[in-house]
Amino acid sequence: MRTSHLFLAALLGVLAAGPPLAAHHSFAAEFDGSRPVTLKGTVTKMEWTNPHAWLHVDVKGPDGKVVEWMIEGGAPNALLRRGWNRESVARGTAIVIQGFRARDGSNRASGGDVTLPDGKKLFIGSTGTGAPGDRQDAGGKK
Amino acid sequence: MKALTALVIAMALAAFVAAAAQQQPAPASSAQAAKNWTPARTPDGQPDLQGIWTNYTSTPFEVPDKSDTPDIYSGDLDGRGRGTGPSSFLTDTSDRKLTKARSLVVDPPSGRVPIMPWAEDVRNYKLAHIQDDWVNFTPWERCITRGVPGGIFPAGYGSGYQILQGPGYVAIVYEMIHEARVIPTDGRPHLGPSFRLWNGDSRGRWEGNTLVVDITGYNDKGTVATNVATQRVRAIPQSEQLHAVERFTRVDENTIDYEVTIEDPKVFTAPWKVAMPLHREPDYQLFEYACHEGNRAVPNTLSGGRAKDREARLVSPKPGGGGAASAR
Repeated sequence: MRTSHLFLAALLGVLAAGPPLAAHHSFAAEFDGSRPVTLKGTVTKMEWTNPHAWLHVDVKGPDGKVVEWMIEGGAPNALLRRGWNRESVARGTAIVIQGFRARDGSNRASGGDVTLPDGKKLFIGSTGTGAPGDRQDAGGKK
Repeated sequence: MKALTALVIAMALAAFVAAAAQQQPAPASSAQAAKNWTPARTPDGQPDLQGIWTNYTSTPFEVPDKSDTPDIYSGDLDGRGRGTGPSSFLTDTSDRKLTKARSLVVDPPSGRVPIMPWAEDVRNYKLAHIQDDWVNFTPWERCITRGVPGGIFPAGYGSGYQILQGPGYVAIVYEMIHEARVIPTDGRPHLGPSFRLWNGDSRGRWEGNTLVVDITGYNDKGTVATNVATQRVRAIPQSEQLHAVERFTRVDENTIDYEVTIEDPKVFTAPWKVAMPLHREPDYQLFEYACHEGNRAVPNTLSGGRAKDREARLVSPKPGGGGAASAR
């Protein structure tokens, strides 16, 4: 079974090889690939701005205090073509986001998978940023 | 599991076939292909290039080489990211096209751009010091321009172009980053050497069915290419001696063959040429890309750099300086 998994992984590696494509800016200059973060919170706002969309989420910390986080997404035109729309994460939606923290330690992160209350996953990130795991984007396929 | 394995194997085979197709020799010249097809004319008699076009491609910009350092080209500062980024087969560019060339750079035949070493040094320095100063960002990251001709090189998203024609002009609207070029085709001369522009000064003319655009008058602030998809050529500086000649030839209803020859004797040891198709996609919509609206990447990146500086001071306080904790 292990061999079979390795075989699949190798094949997927072949599939994923190709010319690099990129987000508007360097992932590594702004975010830290060694500091993954999982945030559970409530959507307060989605900013459909270029060159990147920003999702605002209220997250309750272990001390019960609510802190607003800003999650960087892909470009609006890329998100729209991937199947996102203004209803995808309405205000008040409870979501879980996986991402990577900002290098300056503020409450910002580069977003990856967004899990909705029904378990459906949408990929909010940019493709080809160099962020670890940014290939896991099939969930957002249109 | 069996079904998944079968699917993956089928997809892998398709990828191998596609890769093999890329190794085939380049197709016949655009001029030869165009011979068999006559484009429609605009009311004032220009060959009609109008419509919505996209530049999706799976062909790499340059032929890869073992000397390549993709981590540097992508600005992966500490090797924690993967550097080159993935293919976007699974996302918004699933309808990308394969071309039969092994690279978009077709001349020199090696598929490698003849960049002078000093220009590569400038690129490496700027990309490694992007957190230090806004001048180290490419003009695209600063939302100024993706450049001419750089703005037509594939970026993977925001890939739409609308061409419009009127008497004496051809206009090209670029989805990324919300740019428009108005190219006079009425025979007027270039502006002259006292004008220095980020995107140079475009002058068009018709050679048969081909729109030829001559571009001079660049400033020395821009870069020839801005996106990681352009690999080693990203962030290579341009000089005031940059000169580009673009050729747009509609070879059939759904294809424009696009070519550009680039020379800059201060930056490249020889001229080089890119060739790629533009695909007609009438149903594709160009979305507004108001780049400056939310361009937080510049302050956030600089802020990341200052955080790194503070960390460094905490680790190694300057002798006699009282340590970093009190520095700010």
